[in-house]
Amino acid sequence: MEFLLEEILNLIGFLIGLTIGIMASIGFRNTGSPTLFRLTIAFFSISLGFFVIWTGYMVEDFVIKSGTIERWIQTLGIAIQTIGYFFIAFSHSIKSFFPRSSYFRSVGVLPLFLVSSVQLEHIFRSVSFILLAYGAIETMLSYLDSRNKGAISVSLGLSCLALGEFLGWYSFVFPESILYPISMVIKIGGLIALFIPVSKVPLTKIKFDTDLE
Amino acid sequence: MAEYRTHMKIIGDILATTRDNLQDEDGATVTYLIRKANISHSRISRILKTLVSQGLLEQLAFQGSNKYKISQTGREFLQAYYTFTNFADNFGLSI
Repeated sequence: MEFLLEEILNLIGFLIGLTIGIMASIGFRNTGSPTLFRLTIAFFSISLGFFVIWTGYMVEDFVIKSGTIERWIQTLGIAIQTIGYFFIAFSHSIKSFFPRSSYFRSVGVLPLFLVSSVQLEHIFRSVSFILLAYGAIETMLSYLDSRNKGAISVSLGLSCLALGEFLGWYSFVFPESILYPISMVIKIGGLIALFIPVSKVPLTKIKFDTDLE
Repeated sequence: MAEYRTHMKIIGDILATTRDNLQDEDGATVTYLIRKANISHSRISRILKTLVSQGLLEQLAFQGSNKYKISQTGREFLQAYYTFTNFADNFGLSI
């Protein structure tokens, strides 16, 4: 059980992300709202990303036992989480994120095939950081309009996720240090902060109605 | 500055009017809904047609004109709408 802490933290991340994703999914099925659809994709992606990394550590601990997690599994998990962070940012109308020209779009994807998985992880973590920072700022701005206290908790949660991604990225400089476990703890703290206001939404009286949009 | 309303919010406003703010027990007329929900006639006609076809509103013929009342499904939808508006508000979003 060399990676017990990593396994526990990734499992918690998977469960929290899954719970919020299911709640957003129930909301989408009841209302047909595109915003809730985007949140459903976002949190299912984040949850799946944690699950992939958790599976990687479990396989390493109980099957391969080489002492290090396969790098491509870690990169894959982080890439899937980045998709989730993108949909959170996209929900805040991040429409200018991609260039309009199809040429630039195609060229923009090209570098992803020319770099190693370690460099890809750098790219995904830095993109995640930018998306999360954007989401945190937009959520805080919306709090100034609505004065909904839940938005503070969500903004704090997104900020913690951003900081966690930054520290995870920086841990490449000091690979054997405590930076990576700290980044994981901060990310889980961020997910818990996201979950606190969401957990207060009463779902017990909601009925599914498949006939609605 | 006027607040932008999403399509979902307009539907929520119409359903809330037919639930909480009726002129009389027979339901609300189109003119009344236009005034209360602050929406154009052409747009509300399309929305009312959809809401009736989805079973969220009941359409009643009354003295040569139509009146609209919220159905039980409409009440459940409105409850879900308020619940998930709160959910999305926490993320600084509108449904």
